[in-house]
Amino acid sequence: MSKRDCLVANDWICGEYVRSRSQELIDATVEHVAITASSVAIGVAVALPLALLARRWRFLAAPILGVTTVLYSIPSLAMFSLLLPFFGLSASLVVTGLVLYSLTILVRNILAGLQAVPDEAREAAKGMGYGPLRLLWEVELPLALPALLAGVRITTVSTVALTTVGAIVDYGGLGTLILDGLDTQFKAQVLTASALCVALAIAADLLLLALQRLLTPWTRAHRIRPGRFARKAGAANSVAKVAEPV
Amino acid sequence: MAGAATAVVALTAGLTACGGDSLEDDKGSDGGGKGKVVVGSARFTEQKVLAELYAGVLRDAGYDASVKTVQNREVYEPELKKGSIDVAPEYAATLTEFLNLKKNGADAKPVASSDLDATYGQLTKLADGRGLKALPAGEAVDQNAFAVTEDYAEEHKLKTLSDLGKSGEKVRIAAGDECETRPFCAPGLKKKYGIDVSGIDPKGVGTTQSKQAVKNGTDQLVLTTTTDATLKNFGLVILEDDKKLQNADNILPVVNEKSAGDKKIAAALAKVTKTLTTDDLIELNRKVDAEREKEADVAKEYLESKGLIKK
Repeated sequence: MSKRDCLVANDWICGEYVRSRSQELIDATVEHVAITASSVAIGVAVALPLALLARRWRFLAAPILGVTTVLYSIPSLAMFSLLLPFFGLSASLVVTGLVLYSLTILVRNILAGLQAVPDEAREAAKGMGYGPLRLLWEVELPLALPALLAGVRITTVSTVALTTVGAIVDYGGLGTLILDGLDTQFKAQVLTASALCVALAIAADLLLLALQRLLTPWTRAHRIRPGRFARKAGAANSVAKVAEPV
Repeated sequence: MAGAATAVVALTAGLTACGGDSLEDDKGSDGGGKGKVVVGSARFTEQKVLAELYAGVLRDAGYDASVKTVQNREVYEPELKKGSIDVAPEYAATLTEFLNLKKNGADAKPVASSDLDATYGQLTKLADGRGLKALPAGEAVDQNAFAVTEDYAEEHKLKTLSDLGKSGEKVRIAAGDECETRPFCAPGLKKKYGIDVSGIDPKGVGTTQSKQAVKNGTDQLVLTTTTDATLKNFGLVILEDDKKLQNADNILPVVNEKSAGDKKIAAALAKVTKTLTTDDLIELNRKVDAEREKEADVAKEYLESKGLIKK
């Protein structure tokens, strides 16, 4: 009985809680990561063509940005309830909601990144005989990568937080535990699940930061040794700047 | 640079694949054979425990039963109708009114009452129209109840609400604002029991503050529920609703007629319905909310102790 004491006393920090519910905590964390990862991945896959459309046809830019922003302003509880009739109680319901939320940041960032590709780089590639697809793939996207990844980082952190709302349909990862804990005033559960949620967000952000550095070594080289790489990084430099204010 | 882009694409694809697979959830529900059965519940202890009890007996009967906990009835009832949830523990009068309002609009005349048989009759009719089947209700009931301190009850020799009416004591009720107008609360207490209600202290239904107020003597009567497990901690006792003011919120299983209309399912669920008492439910709630045991463990322990499932 003494082992259960901190559970009965309802302490904020309770080792016995972590021990007795380790499986639940692991399951919830795995679900949380899976929902967040698939939402962001699908979000990027949807945002990229939207950004390309908005760039190709200027008249589409305003409606695309407008609609994604309006989507962003829908309260999450309402969003999930609105999607319920279409998806039923499923993880795809939560993922769809999160994808819709991710679009506004992702589309804007990708578009900003693409627009910041210097005309010279584009012209040079065309001059070398690059077709539009190869131009996009080998010149524009890599140059837009810092802005794109900055968007992915913001989106990921906000998605980790928003995933918790999925608890209303039983697919909220750690959010399910947080909400349950709040309802029954289970302090250890609320604190443990919340702390895990924050840790997830930080870990994801650091991971993406590492990925960003790995994929765009030129921006980093430029920052560390401004003199030597100045000319080489000239093109990328302007793109990196776009990423900062977002 | 092409390498970098390829890496991003590969990663994206990887994430999609990993997410897609593990999230794919198979909720085929063929209630015809011994298949999967999803028991739905809202997010509060008692209904979750009940859902685990149902899942327990269904598993014992050979079904692959799982529990799905969602926000509230507004979320799970449509799923129950569709059949993506097959079974749900319900409260007779509350569900009757829920379906009544859904069918007849917000101004519908109440059809649930304190008479369980009449309420069940209405419920069966309303449920039928939605492809649902309400199975018979049991003795366990979670309905509104009024409690006083043990000392107060002893001093005025109170066992029932009628006793309180006869005592002529002035009482202030710790409850929600709405107690002023709801027929089951202040108006009903005055009319049916002749209780002299001097005022309402809007501290909420069954909240800690409300119970504390009665314990301190600020208020005399607290509105709570029959399955409130914390009453003892405050030294409170429930006065019996001897003239049946409260609606018959007896607990019963509701199933989707198509996906879980099977007789074997009904028989398994009936075992819980017939065995469970209000006191059992209080104890189960207490184990979860006070001792922080898991709903599933508490339910399993109970079913085993009553011999409803094989150990």
